[in-house]
Amino acid sequence: MNKKLSHSELLAIVKSVPMLTPSANQLLQLTAQEDHDLADVVNLVKTDAKLTARVLKVVNSAAFGLLSNITSIDRAISYLGERIIVSIAIGDSAGKLFDKELAGYEATGGDLWRHDLRTAIAAREVASQSGADISPDLAFTAGLLHDIGKALISDYLLGTAPDAIQMIRSDESVDYLTAEVAMVGFDHTQAGYELAKIWQLPEALVEVIRYHHQPSQAGEANRALVYAVHLGDNIAMLSGFGTGADSMQYPLDPGYGNYLSLTPIDLENIILTVDSEFSKLQESLTANGEE
Amino acid sequence: MGQLTLGVGEYGASNIIGEEVKTYALGSCIAVILLDPQTRTIGMAHIALPDSSINKNKAAEKPGYFADTAIPALLEEMARYGCHKKGKGMVVKLCGGANVMDTNDTFQIGKRNALAIKKILWAHDMGAVAEDLGGNFSRTVSVSVESGLVTLSSPGRPSWQL
Repeated sequence: MNKKLSHSELLAIVKSVPMLTPSANQLLQLTAQEDHDLADVVNLVKTDAKLTARVLKVVNSAAFGLLSNITSIDRAISYLGERIIVSIAIGDSAGKLFDKELAGYEATGGDLWRHDLRTAIAAREVASQSGADISPDLAFTAGLLHDIGKALISDYLLGTAPDAIQMIRSDESVDYLTAEVAMVGFDHTQAGYELAKIWQLPEALVEVIRYHHQPSQAGEANRALVYAVHLGDNIAMLSGFGTGADSMQYPLDPGYGNYLSLTPIDLENIILTVDSEFSKLQESLTANGEE
Repeated sequence: MGQLTLGVGEYGASNIIGEEVKTYALGSCIAVILLDPQTRTIGMAHIALPDSSINKNKAAEKPGYFADTAIPALLEEMARYGCHKKGKGMVVKLCGGANVMDTNDTFQIGKRNALAIKKILWAHDMGAVAEDLGGNFSRTVSVSVESGLVTLSSPGRPSWQL
């Protein structure tokens, strides 16, 4: 049996994680506001030379196949859109966490980022197709960040995956969250929540990180958004992009029907869109990390 | 050892002894495996969705993506290896088709995929002799061309055979 962490040990782990860059942090604050526009995003990116360079590199990467190079940051941002800018800033700021090999879940390096990116695209599609009043851009960002807690507790879960699965199969645990608590004292949503608070993320993102497996517990104001990410997460897992042993080991909350309307055909269309968007986005964002 | 790796919506065949036909992380997707004892050819399709009517363009570009277009495409591909065009004498195995823990029908994509595939196989007078479908876990599957042995694995579980 692995050693359970105390709350102060969990906080020490969370505090050892580097802070987001100021521009990434401000970008998350800004894009969580309902009444922001792209000009605000442009002004913010311009304050960060490194981020500006990354954005230009991504827009001029082969994935977008532009005929001539874009050299103006204004044009680059309006071409790429807010979502991709946020992805670049997060990847730039916390890339090490996202690329971490989740050995505790028997996943490989890069699995977390791929799962998050697919969840992000799926949550955005759910948000825009479901008729709910949710910002698709915010759903995307929330999808990117929802599982960040796994990078924090994975090392402490090392070797527990077979037992965790056995606990669920024998009904000793209802899902992987309870198994995580049994193994290390905390689940990945609790760990992620502590990090989200230290990073001072906007409330909507904090709630998604904390309640993406129990959306009904989120506050009324953000509940539809949390449901969208809950479904996006499940769609990513269904399409074979989980983060290892915990994939599909969580109940789907049918209460989403009170907030989002989704037919089986909508779902199939979303799966298709996620597949095609994912390859394109992954290719373009890889240019992000190259020097 | 050589390996023919198939991504989502891809299909292919091999008759090279020593090679493996493999596909990773089948969630609700289903791998249709066709083994032809006559020519010792292994064919596989990694099918994502039940019906191509939702997007004909995608079906034209990637027939392996949908159950109704994947099976004819795979049979045609295997005919290039000398197999019977209509799949006569072939052994069929199916795996994947997982579902999330859910009581709601909308998300039972794995189940809908399995039904669609079986219907199309029946229409071709084919049926699976072995299947490992459903459940709520992701499967990686590989088939040895030499022995026809189908091996499955999933994170956190010992591997097993079908």
